[in-house]
Amino acid sequence: MRRTKMILALLVAMAAWSAETGTLLKIDTLRAEPYGDAKTVATFAVGDKVDILKKSGGWLQVKGTKGKGWVRMLSVRTGAASKKGSAASGLLDLASGRTGTGKVVATTGIRGLSEEDLKAAKFNETELKLAESYATSAVDARKFAAQGKLAARKVDYLPAPQ
Amino acid sequence: MNTIMKRLGMAALVLACGAVRGQTLDEILKKAVEQKVQQQTGNDISGLLTGVSQDEEIAIGRQIAGDLLGAAPLVKDAKLQKYVNNVGRWVAAQSERPDLPWHFGVIDSMDINAFAAPGGYIFVTRGLYRLLTNEAQLAGVLGHEIGHVIKQHHLKLLQQSRMIEMGGKLVTKQAGDNESVQKVIGSGAEVAARSLDKGAEFEADRIGVVLGARAGYEPYALPEVLQLLGHFTANDSSVALLFKTHPLPDARLDKLGLAMGDTFDRIKGLPLDKRFYKLK
Repeated sequence: MRRTKMILALLVAMAAWSAETGTLLKIDTLRAEPYGDAKTVATFAVGDKVDILKKSGGWLQVKGTKGKGWVRMLSVRTGAASKKGSAASGLLDLASGRTGTGKVVATTGIRGLSEEDLKAAKFNETELKLAESYATSAVDARKFAAQGKLAARKVDYLPAPQ
Repeated sequence: MNTIMKRLGMAALVLACGAVRGQTLDEILKKAVEQKVQQQTGNDISGLLTGVSQDEEIAIGRQIAGDLLGAAPLVKDAKLQKYVNNVGRWVAAQSERPDLPWHFGVIDSMDINAFAAPGGYIFVTRGLYRLLTNEAQLAGVLGHEIGHVIKQHHLKLLQQSRMIEMGGKLVTKQAGDNESVQKVIGSGAEVAARSLDKGAEFEADRIGVVLGARAGYEPYALPEVLQLLGHFTANDSSVALLFKTHPLPDARLDKLGLAMGDTFDRIKGLPLDKRFYKLK
């Protein structure tokens, strides 16, 4: 029993530790629901800090000194700009329910791909033919989409913002 | 290009003969060339480069792809490579060039980057692939690269640096290392290390979002990847080339946010995290 409690406490601590933070990149509105016309809870200023609770489409549910609600994902810089080498955990893990699980750690013997590497590169016919052998036909691509229940739909190209 | 020059030349002659006061022939010619260049580099979908045939485009891309694979070979995982081709081909099918011979691959480098070569050769590094957690994000990344291909951004870059001799002199045999094509693209895969202008990157981001959404995926998947890229510091060597050749993630998110607005508030899509092929 005691042990279960300890594990529980540890799990709670881990969850708190792995909660992701965000910083407002621009002035935006904190809303009650994840919709542009939902009730306004507060207005964020650039640099406001929030805790990210969850994600839905283009919206993040956040909590901070200005209250709890939803803000557009693209107005928030997630995480701290201090990750190094390892893949980032956080928002995406959160989105896929993997919060707090195995961080990817860079392996040794890393092959870089610098400007110099690219300039010095020599044509590799064998690898190219191998790459070409994996091509998918248009028909097979449609089958693959159908297996994933992906349906094509009409969406217009976005003009460049003014 | 020859025909364009002929046409421009004739237009200039007509103008010059037609007593255009106060303008020298040079000025008239310059203006005509500028207009033509504007037309060619403008944003309209029909603005494919004239003077480079699709076969040449593919031959150039194939040479760059072979060079790139010389720098970093494929990850030796046939299921992964097939999966990436399935996703990529489905996304490319939503573009206005569905019938290019599209090829996709994951290359064995821990650098975080992705590359597009003319004619539809697209590669993602193992380092970038490992950051992704669902198929929609992969579709968004591939969609960005497909954007470069359909807008011929790299082909235009080569043309601007006068590396492409316009007028159909390229040999387009499909087999093997192609010397004359290599001359066009410079040393190795250096074109893959060159920066496009920022506008081209922002445009590819918008195209990536739209193609992913057209394909049925969650439209905010590409912005998720950009947010992930924002977690890396600029002095991290694994993102050095990516950050050198692209606008920084914050700027890309800002521009993409402005372009997306509330358009996608009610367009949901699938993330497909269960089907996403995980790299060991």
